[in-house]
Amino acid sequence: MKAALRHLLRGRRRTILAALAVFVPVFLLVVFLGMIGGMEKEMFASLTGFDTGHFQIRRVSDRPAGNALPLIRDPAPLLSLVDASDDVAWYTVRLDLPALAAAGGRSLGVVVQGISPAEATFHSPLARAVRAGRYLEPGDEGVVVGQQLLDALGVSVGDELILLGAHPQGAAGVALPRVVGTFTIPDPALGRGLVQVDLGVAQRLARTAGITAIVGYVRDVDGPWDAPRIVDAVARIRAQLPEGYEILDWAALAPESEMYLRIMRPITVAFMVAFFFLGGLVVLNTLYLSVLERTRELGIMLALGAPRRYVTGQVILESGLLATGAAVVGAVVGLGFVLGVEAAGGLPLPGAYEVGMALFGIEPLLRMRITAAEVVLSAMAMVAVAMAAAWYPARRAAALEPLETMRHAD
Amino acid sequence: MRTEAVVEARELHKVYVTGSVRTPALNGVDVTLSRGEFAAMAGPSGSGKSTLLHLLGGLDKPTSGEVLVSGAPISALSRAQLAQLRLRHVGFVFQAYNLIPVLTVLENAMFVLELQGLPLARRRKQALAVLAELGVDKYAHQFPNKLSGGEQQRVAVARAVVSDPAIVLADEPTANLDTKTSLDLIDLMRRMNEEHKTTFLFATHDTRLLDRVDRVIHLEDGRIARDERVR
Ligand SMILES: Nc1ncnc2c1ncn2[C@@H]1O[C@H](COP(=O)(O)OP(=O)(O)OP(=O)(O)O)[C@@H](O)[C@H]1O
Ligand SMILES: [Mg+2]
Repeated sequence: MKAALRHLLRGRRRTILAALAVFVPVFLLVVFLGMIGGMEKEMFASLTGFDTGHFQIRRVSDRPAGNALPLIRDPAPLLSLVDASDDVAWYTVRLDLPALAAAGGRSLGVVVQGISPAEATFHSPLARAVRAGRYLEPGDEGVVVGQQLLDALGVSVGDELILLGAHPQGAAGVALPRVVGTFTIPDPALGRGLVQVDLGVAQRLARTAGITAIVGYVRDVDGPWDAPRIVDAVARIRAQLPEGYEILDWAALAPESEMYLRIMRPITVAFMVAFFFLGGLVVLNTLYLSVLERTRELGIMLALGAPRRYVTGQVILESGLLATGAAVVGAVVGLGFVLGVEAAGGLPLPGAYEVGMALFGIEPLLRMRITAAEVVLSAMAMVAVAMAAAWYPARRAAALEPLETMRHAD
Repeated sequence: MRTEAVVEARELHKVYVTGSVRTPALNGVDVTLSRGEFAAMAGPSGSGKSTLLHLLGGLDKPTSGEVLVSGAPISALSRAQLAQLRLRHVGFVFQAYNLIPVLTVLENAMFVLELQGLPLARRRKQALAVLAELGVDKYAHQFPNKLSGGEQQRVAVARAVVSDPAIVLADEPTANLDTKTSLDLIDLMRRMNEEHKTTFLFATHDTRLLDRVDRVIHLEDGRIARDERVR
């Protein structure tokens, strides 16, 4: 043990190189996993917070109603069912309906989304994307629209908009809300095609007291890694749903986003395997050189009667010390980086990322999240690679012939 | 008076084969070393001194003939068994000190005892005692490269005798030392021999060392030319 440590100290340059070869992959993996964790969490929060919820309860329509969701005319029994569920942290209701938005002789087809502003203010990324004016307030008679729609209709904040409700199962209603705020999002389809009003306004437009969906959130769900909890909760609620209703979880509602979240991590990990492999090669090379350099010394040990496994053990021990030390430092520094970024509330990203991140409704801030298991596994994986890399040099050391080694050195 | 044979060579032949070149190094050597002997092996360069020492110590295998260590033949032993034999029964001192550079003097002296599985306290005590007898205990916690050649060789002698082996084999232990240091080293080995009854056999070119030993074995062309009792 002492001898192994001293070898490492003696070949300091080589040791530092090999230590870096262990340190860097571990550090990078921890940081990348931290980034992925952060992105997963943000993307998931954005997706479920604005669009899908963790789950939605909808009416199953026998008569297809265009692209409009069928109306739930009497939501009360469903609401009490959700109220009674222990799984559900909170929920809100929504009424989506196709409508015509018109101003100054121009008109465009839009989706009017009737929401409950009290909850959306906290949870919807749209509320955070408001750039001019303000977001909806409870009982609001106004409307918030995308900047693209404003431009297309040639109106501005404070102007009146004519909305003609056209839900195929409702009666046509009219509303004349004022534009109270605009949100700016890069997705042109949403920016042009989505307007939000208070639920009451939307119900007047469809002349109904109904809704189209209950949007629910499950307890103790922090990110996509908690998705199994959603699946379980959804299964329990589904079992109690009356005939004619369905419950869909976020994965079913946004399959593409769900798939993206699912493959992000494996792809990164696969990418990191290359780093681990390279690190292992450097460790192998280092130990091999060190064995060559110590041929004579190892030969003396063998001549004195040291068993071959003792010599093998020396090389393996050396590699173990080096790898464990460097991997622990890599994991600790990586963890420190991740925690530091989180403590600072995220790392601002360069401009180029802004658009891409905004597509997912994410702020251009790098958020990070890592679990203890990820940190420990990263370090342990690299130690395992380094130990495997030590195998060949160790074998070479044990195969030395003591007389040969002493003759060479003389 | 019959004494116990610690190492015995019978009809020992050794031929080195390098490619198509055959170099006969030993051509039928019979020799017996008894417990407590202090013997030197002399002879011109290439006469086979090193080869004989390696065969007697189980570092190499003869082409034919047999070596017995403490009465037991060793030709049938495996590599691992030969290592065990060296560990338990043979001490080595080489020409170029051959201490382990990353171990301190004390750790070098304890190395064999550690491999033998002695507990730390005992090997410390034993090693320190031998280092003191050889006058190098004051360097116990230094690394070998801080010591002079003569001091390093004393440590090597300490390492060879510390486990009380049947025989200590030394291949030109004084070749790198000046005359005074050489004589001092031989005197120290002699003292080890007298106090611990350790059997010594060393190869040397240096004729001035020969009047300090009991027995001189003269080797020539791989044969024992003369085997004389000096005292
Ligand atoms: N590994 C080897 N391969 C081939 N020939 C060898 C080998 N080792 C020794 N020899 C030859 O065997 C003969 C005896 O060598 P050895 O080293 O035993 O002599 P020595 O008496 O120790 O000589 P010196 O006094 O120079 O150390 C020499 O001719 C030498 O060249
Ligand atoms: Mg020789």
